[in-house]
Amino acid sequence: MTISRKCVPFTPFERELSKSTIAIVTAGGVHLKDQEGFNIADELGDLTYREIPADVDSADLMVTHHHYDHRDADEDINVVFPIDVLRDLHAEGFIGGIAKKHIGYMGYTMQLKAMYEGTAREIANDIDKASRADAVVLTGG
Amino acid sequence: MKGIPTVLITVSPEVSAQMRPPRALYPKGFKIGNSLGRPGMRDLQKKVLRDALELLNQNTRPGAAVTIEYPEYGEQYEPPHVKKLS
Repeated sequence: MTISRKCVPFTPFERELSKSTIAIVTAGGVHLKDQEGFNIADELGDLTYREIPADVDSADLMVTHHHYDHRDADEDINVVFPIDVLRDLHAEGFIGGIAKKHIGYMGYTMQLKAMYEGTAREIANDIDKASRADAVVLTGG
Repeated sequence: MKGIPTVLITVSPEVSAQMRPPRALYPKGFKIGNSLGRPGMRDLQKKVLRDALELLNQNTRPGAAVTIEYPEYGEQYEPPHVKKLS
């Protein structure tokens, strides 16, 4: 399917939040400390992404990104990747569940077409097939 | 391809608008790197995330960001602007 460059690809949401599973996809360069960091040496950017499991300890996450000041995220990853906040909302019954898989990538690239047509599509497929999310929260840096 | 409903939290609304997000929240005056607020401000972070998720069920205008003010954030920052071609 070709995505129109002119229209907004809007998908309706017709569920109750309290019965919905939510995933986080961040362009803030978030990944597990034991995963390979993003390649910040390449001026063209890094088109890869990292999968973050639902049961991750937020202390095991870090940021590799050289196009924003991530000192606050280093102190509290929830300012760009709100996994503990999502857990709080789940505990309160505001949302129904936390998706099995979340995604971090480095939202800086000079390869826009490859990001748009490649990485973004792969992430969408991954979220669709493996995370069982009903909706996704997107964050940048 | 099946669509997935999304909501974006952006601190650069002009920049994000170029990608025409279906739903977006701009927490006014938050700086880059503080999408949900400042470190440790869990109540504020929860409020921002709740507001963003609630946009999923609201009649927002696709492509435009909804701006919400959070005075408890404190010092405000000017978001980056998109350079217009002359």
